[in-house]
Amino acid sequence: MEAIWLYQFRLIVIGDSTVGKSCLIRRFTEGRFAQVSDPTVGVDFFSRLVEIEPGKRIKLQIWDTAGQERFRSITRAYYRNSVGGLLLFDITNRRSFQNVHDWLEEARSHVQPHSIVFLLVGHKCDLEPQRQVTRQEAEKLAGAYGMRYVETSARDAINVEHAFTELTRDIFQLVRSGDITIQEGWEGVKSGFVPNVVHSSEEVTKSDRRCLC
Amino acid sequence: MEKAYNGSSPPAFSVDVNEKGTSSTSLTQPLSDGTADAAARLSKHVSRHETGCSDSRESGEAGEDIGRSTVLVTDSPSGGTVSNCVIPEPGSDSATNGFTGSTMVGSKAGNCSAITAVNREEMDRNALQGISLAEKNKDSSAEELDACHPPLNFVTAAETVESLTHSCNGQLELSCTAASRTGPQGLSNWDTDSVIQSTLSSDAVSRPQINWSTTPDKEAKMANGGLFIGPSSAKLHTETVVTIILDGAATGLSNTKCENPSSIAVSAREGHDESCNIREEPDEAGAQPRTQANVAGDLSDGATSNLTSQGLPSSPAPTKDPCGVSVKPDTCQGEEPSASGHLGDDPSSRPHPQALRTRTVPNSLSYDSSTFLSPGDEDGETFVELGAQGHSDLRFMDVSLSSRNTFESSRRQSAPGDIPEGLSVVSVDPSELALQSKRPGIAEYFGRSLFSKKQREPKGPSQNVPGWKLFGKVPARESAPKDSRTIQQESIPDGLTSVSTPNLLSAGEFEARVGKAGPGGTPAGLSPTQPQQSRRKNLEFEPLSTTALILEDRPANLPAKSVEEAQRHRQEYDEMVAEAKKRELKEAQRKRKEMKERFKQEESIANAMVVWNNDILPNWENTRNTRRVRELWWQGLPPNVRGKVWSLAIGNELNITPELYEIFLSRAKERWRSFSETGSETEADDGASLADRESSLDLIKLDISRTFPPLFIFQKGGPYHDLLHSVLGAYTCYRPDVGYVQGMSFIAAVLILNLEEADAFIAFANLLNKPCQLAFFRVDHDLMLKYFAAFEVFFEENLPRLFNHFQSSKLTPDLYLIDWIFTLYSKSLPLDVACRVWDVFCRDGEEFLFRTGLGILRLYEDVLLQMDFIHSAQFLTRLPEDIGSDRLFTCIAAAPMLNGNKKWSQVFNALIKDNKDVDRNCNPALKSS
Repeated sequence: MEAIWLYQFRLIVIGDSTVGKSCLIRRFTEGRFAQVSDPTVGVDFFSRLVEIEPGKRIKLQIWDTAGQERFRSITRAYYRNSVGGLLLFDITNRRSFQNVHDWLEEARSHVQPHSIVFLLVGHKCDLEPQRQVTRQEAEKLAGAYGMRYVETSARDAINVEHAFTELTRDIFQLVRSGDITIQEGWEGVKSGFVPNVVHSSEEVTKSDRRCLC
Repeated sequence: MEKAYNGSSPPAFSVDVNEKGTSSTSLTQPLSDGTADAAARLSKHVSRHETGCSDSRESGEAGEDIGRSTVLVTDSPSGGTVSNCVIPEPGSDSATNGFTGSTMVGSKAGNCSAITAVNREEMDRNALQGISLAEKNKDSSAEELDACHPPLNFVTAAETVESLTHSCNGQLELSCTAASRTGPQGLSNWDTDSVIQSTLSSDAVSRPQINWSTTPDKEAKMANGGLFIGPSSAKLHTETVVTIILDGAATGLSNTKCENPSSIAVSAREGHDESCNIREEPDEAGAQPRTQANVAGDLSDGATSNLTSQGLPSSPAPTKDPCGVSVKPDTCQGEEPSASGHLGDDPSSRPHPQALRTRTVPNSLSYDSSTFLSPGDEDGETFVELGAQGHSDLRFMDVSLSSRNTFESSRRQSAPGDIPEGLSVVSVDPSELALQSKRPGIAEYFGRSLFSKKQREPKGPSQNVPGWKLFGKVPARESAPKDSRTIQQESIPDGLTSVSTPNLLSAGEFEARVGKAGPGGTPAGLSPTQPQQSRRKNLEFEPLSTTALILEDRPANLPAKSVEEAQRHRQEYDEMVAEAKKRELKEAQRKRKEMKERFKQEESIANAMVVWNNDILPNWENTRNTRRVRELWWQGLPPNVRGKVWSLAIGNELNITPELYEIFLSRAKERWRSFSETGSETEADDGASLADRESSLDLIKLDISRTFPPLFIFQKGGPYHDLLHSVLGAYTCYRPDVGYVQGMSFIAAVLILNLEEADAFIAFANLLNKPCQLAFFRVDHDLMLKYFAAFEVFFEENLPRLFNHFQSSKLTPDLYLIDWIFTLYSKSLPLDVACRVWDVFCRDGEEFLFRTGLGILRLYEDVLLQMDFIHSAQFLTRLPEDIGSDRLFTCIAAAPMLNGNKKWSQVFNALIKDNKDVDRNCNPALKSS
């Protein structure tokens, strides 16, 4: 059944349409890459468990949003209950990079009073020859907003795991340090049912063993 | 399920392997709307065609030896309507199929040869000689089967090549339409490559494929690919029987099904069935330009060539090649050089008996003919059945490949030369003739499209695939001619019992069969051992090898089996065989039952269609609201009238005319042009509003290819790609205030599947102009919330438990309703179900959209109650694919839209009013403050 998890984080994935949001998530949650996928209308849902440390598992609830401008009035309602976000642009599409700023503004203004930990993702990095956005400028932009920057490719499965786990780790640190707290009526972070002692030790040893292997 | 994706062409081909180990391949055949791509493709194939024709003609005149082929022209292209009617008589012909009750072949005259020709050089000369079921050997003159229905046309192969082609086209049309509807769309797009892949995946027949792949010539590939059968047959090495059932005098083809019981089949069958309905073109006007275009497109693809032009029966022709190529699966495995080597080299090896039979079915204009093409194989036969059946129109086609043990029969059928004799026409209905006479226009159309672009293409592949040979056996060619009738009869006995059970035969039986094959059929060189060897290589196919293991004595250096042990082994083996046979029987019964049900369904649809066409539509305004019509409406609209009824029900409040559509379309095209010239690279138009940019250009393009991707008809290169592009583009020009919003592409696509272009646009624009759609597509968030709130009122009323469950898990209706409403369920429900929802949506309006939502929730209430937030949300945004329309509609019917005694509109208006009241209350408050 449901595996035991310490926390549940709700992540939202945003960015222009066709930058590959759904593909990236599918790669992460289903481990496969689909050449063609339906356009997302409204919002789509995914989930996966991530083990950030031995025995410490986080359940990620990922909201995949429609990228089209028109849907922003719908999707902006979903920012509020998210604790983390992946902001995607397509490295082969300069415009999607230029819109990163808009997306951030949009998110920041609708997430009050909470905040979202963002990760900037340059997607489709397998298409290096068609690159229109350099890594340097993307890193610079990310730095300016206090985000990390990762380049990923859903097609070639580059950095996909890494992107999600890094973001999850960051959020986890913030939760642990108390910067982010679990609040009633806020869905961003939920506490898993706390494992009882027996259970947790089992879990820990199990995963430890796995790690040693 | 695996999809072989062919990079170059839209993925056309999918192979489906089910548990039984049978694989079915479904081809998606895009309807071509006359798009450039299609045209291009067309030209390619056309050229082939042409060559074939001319060649054949020449040859015919020259008096060269033309393989005789029998072409049955069942149908001449009617204006879109197919007039072939074969009456399915379940049972009578069933012997052939085993599972299908009836075997009917409506073959259009096809010049298969054209296709076949592709592969061989000689073919060039002989090329068009008819439908060649026949395998082509190098030396072989093209063997054509031209069986012309006497009443229709008796055409000698040489003379009437063109006419044949026309007729072929007609057939193509049939098949095409069917394909388009159903799903064997792949034909058109089909590339050899894909074929290869598919074959590989399904059956490990690598050999033949290899050959194919090696052939540089696309056409050659096409030829093969044309009929899925080709590859399949290759695998099976068995007989290929193509049966086309055309039934009904009327118009459209609605369903195409392919069944491939055995392993190779190309079948769209299950999935497609349903889809067929959906996609069918409701319009009787098969004659409509679009249809024609489709046909043409199909032809172009070349897939068609196999199917029809070549006539369905001809499909075997393609097979020939494959056969030659493929050889037995066993051999295919690669150990035996024979497979590839044989191709074409051995003239002797070509057993392609063909028989055409024409029968008159009582009551119907139609006749049915069955063609058996068989590259005789030891293993089994591939049975392809194409059945189009409809009463007034062709409603569905069945293409099925099954392997049977018709070895015998195939043997006997041997020589193509025999075919003419074999052809027996029992009777032809005069009415048929009449029908045909009406269709010359279409025929011409086809002819034009086919031939206009002809170019001679070098037949490159011919070298690669010189000919084909079966396992090095002597071809049945020399064998004495067989009467087709006889053949069929002979095949019958095998048919039922051994349907798709080649494996069940013990080696002994097998040999016996071979022996029985008779003077005519048995290839002289056939050695019993060979088949066995080959079999062993492919365990899946060969229980025979097991037999050998169990029943044979042990090697001399080991202690011999004791008598008991030997006996036990024998017994065990017998049990296994019996078991397997039983399974097969059961399977056959199930299939038959299914077929029966399908017939029944078809019949009811046919009946409903008659009622709609004769009673309701002519008197629309008076009847539309009668109880009887509403009830009939609820049952689901017959596919042929679906588009029409939708159009009428949606209406045209906006008074859009086709001319207006053209205007907006040309405006859209201008914008695309200017955009492609200036916009894309320079990025100069940064100033333009994002929404504007998005709504018009890029996004539409990108989304079109993401619309119903599994259908492969809207994707780039697909037949409906440009059509969808046009409708959406014109709409953004027509309503710049709304623009393009994601989700629209699905709505437009569904309309395009059911209506002509301009009508689709008119319906699209009017549909989106309805209050609910306008609210959503303008993303009027407040209004949308009202809709959600109204929905929740009825949700709570109908399903209080689930409502509370959702409340507690904070699953709000917007999370799933947005997707459902935006796409009118066409994205989340299977297409056929979605169309039924659309039917009633057209009848009842927006209320029904929300009622459908309640029906879905009710249908899955128990499951949803067990789920947490994320799982529920995932479930609802990705509904199960097996959702059945009947079950769903039962649930919808159980969800009356009544809140107390208030109806949907009352509840909704009350919510709006509340809002206004609030506003009014606020305003004074504001004023006072």
